[in-house]
Amino acid sequence: MLDARRDKDMDATTAQTKDTRAEALVASYERAGYARVQPAILQPAEPFLDLSGEDIRKRMFLTASPNGEELCLRPDLTIPVSRDYLASGTAGKPASYCYLGPVFRHRANGPAEFLQAGIESFGRADKAAADAEMLALGLEATAHYGLAEPDIQIGDVALFAALISALDLPAAWKRRLVKDFNRKANLAQDLDRLTLGGSNGRPEYQGVLAALAGSDPKGAQRLVTDLLSIAGITAVGGRSVGEIADRFLEQSALGASTKLPREVRGLIERFLSIQGEPDDAAAELRALALEAQMKNALDPALDLFENRAGFLAAHGVDLKRLRFSTAFGRGFDYYTGFVFEITDPKGSSEPLVAGGRYDGLLARLGAAEAISAVGFAVWIERLAGGAA
Amino acid sequence: MTVPLILAVPAKGRLQENAEAFFGRAGLPLIKPRGARDYRGAVAGLDGIEVAYLSASEITSQLAQGAVHLGVTGEDLVREQMPDADKRVVLIEALGFGHANVVVAVPQAWIDVRTMADVDDVATAFRHTHGRKMRVATKYINLTRDFFSRHGVIDYRIVESAGATEGAPAAGTAELIVDITTTGTTLAANALKIVEDGTILRSQANLVAARGAEWGGPQRELARVILDRIAAQARARAFREVRARFAGCDTKLVDEAREKFAIETPFGGPTSSGMLTLHCPPTQVYPLTGFLRERGAEAVSVAELDYVFSKDNPLYAKLEAGL
Repeated sequence: MLDARRDKDMDATTAQTKDTRAEALVASYERAGYARVQPAILQPAEPFLDLSGEDIRKRMFLTASPNGEELCLRPDLTIPVSRDYLASGTAGKPASYCYLGPVFRHRANGPAEFLQAGIESFGRADKAAADAEMLALGLEATAHYGLAEPDIQIGDVALFAALISALDLPAAWKRRLVKDFNRKANLAQDLDRLTLGGSNGRPEYQGVLAALAGSDPKGAQRLVTDLLSIAGITAVGGRSVGEIADRFLEQSALGASTKLPREVRGLIERFLSIQGEPDDAAAELRALALEAQMKNALDPALDLFENRAGFLAAHGVDLKRLRFSTAFGRGFDYYTGFVFEITDPKGSSEPLVAGGRYDGLLARLGAAEAISAVGFAVWIERLAGGAA
Repeated sequence: MTVPLILAVPAKGRLQENAEAFFGRAGLPLIKPRGARDYRGAVAGLDGIEVAYLSASEITSQLAQGAVHLGVTGEDLVREQMPDADKRVVLIEALGFGHANVVVAVPQAWIDVRTMADVDDVATAFRHTHGRKMRVATKYINLTRDFFSRHGVIDYRIVESAGATEGAPAAGTAELIVDITTTGTTLAANALKIVEDGTILRSQANLVAARGAEWGGPQRELARVILDRIAAQARARAFREVRARFAGCDTKLVDEAREKFAIETPFGGPTSSGMLTLHCPPTQVYPLTGFLRERGAEAVSVAELDYVFSKDNPLYAKLEAGL
């Protein structure tokens, strides 16, 4: 009886300590100039499914309003904070927010409701400085919970995007490689397939593609229209005749024998193997860019990368402790630049703090123009558990 | 009073007819003692079984919860409604009816799309061109998500569709669909075609057992009886009984026949008087009778079998292994 009461008291104390500690963390973010916000827990499901992909659906708590609108308990706070910012009237202007509150996700291990703190920073033009500030503030969270020397993994999605866009490759292949950056198994498969040849094993297309060789978009559109009318197909559905014709043209340009040149594949693979301390990696990337005659194309992204490292050093972050990898991507498609994860070297590989730059997200949420955005989230229970 | 064994059977349409015919053939006629409109029934001559007439989708969820012991439902629904199906149910036997494939179908006008690799490419291009993701209308949300994920397709959104899914592309509410089809006629009528490697599941009606139901001694005993009859009937349908008697009939001849016609000898080799009883697959009946006559049989009789009971009960063994 006595024992039970003591356990109960201890539970209450633990819970209170956890909250007090998390509150103190967020208070420090407020003092650093980040306004505390508390977005609604019940959110429209659409933006999460649209931006994070259908895979998140199985982890979400979904419900519906009486008029059929799909709603969910917020699975993260980045999208809710972004939506409130867009609706606030200050959209487009610099704004900095911090938060602490529950998020909801079905998980294999651990309760489905858990606490996240975090920061979102919008509209800042000085991207390198803003990126560095995020990692520095993220490290404050781990230090706040007594983890002095965490593992820090960083990456930069913009570097891969710059490389691919500078390569002399058909647009369809570029789309594919960029899309699969976050799924390394698929990326390896893509490279295999492209090295073997774009149209291998597709003899059924050869007739159409041959007929299209050398035609302009209008000619291609006429041909597709003819093909459809010969087949007696009237309804097109979703995609226009022009889109179908464009895709045929794209494939015809690839030609039956077009392959990803071995040296290009070698370049991509070498690029993705670069990792280490930021300074060394930057030097290696500069050398690779020079050798592949892509200096102009890669310079802007590399300049930002080195500037950011400078700002990180100025924040007192020991660059030697950062593990950079060109292949590191965090698995979410909305990141467009800097990404990072902070983990406990003695704990699981699950991040304690994670975030990055997502400059495209606000436009996809309906902003009239692109708004720069960067932020991170803190897993309070993981930190508190590790510290205890 | 002991809890009855609850057997869930589809409540309407062809599935109900097929399921009733199936149980009838297995010597387990389903009856509705309180009239045809009743949704509760029984098995004639076998006490302790309650037959629950439910919709196929409800049968699946009741199986998942362990609220019924056995049920007849489509594998498509089991795989869709139970992400962890193998933990919750045992698929005991495919029943040979209710065939339907769950497929990815696109407008016929998409003459540039034949494979899932094309769907992937088109999905990504679509997002770039239209600034939104391609929509897939379906009621198979989980099957679709897993299949698309296996094929690396990410630029799509699912639009839940409760019925008339094949009309969605023409109505403009989705670009493509995932749906069941038996012959493909409805898809064709809606100007849709099946993606070549886009068959997600070849489904048919299954007898399914719920692992979470209460399986006490009485329920197990009833399940053993039911599955024994179903197995006996299944085996009976797979064979014809062939009988002959002739002097030249010996073990060597039987071995040769076994080799050539995949026959079985349920009662062993020929008796001392040369009497022989064989079980032969239906397609091998005529070759076998020719074979026997060439070797001296003057008359060969062939009969259909009603049941073949054997010592072991493979279906019940499967159920017991899964519980």
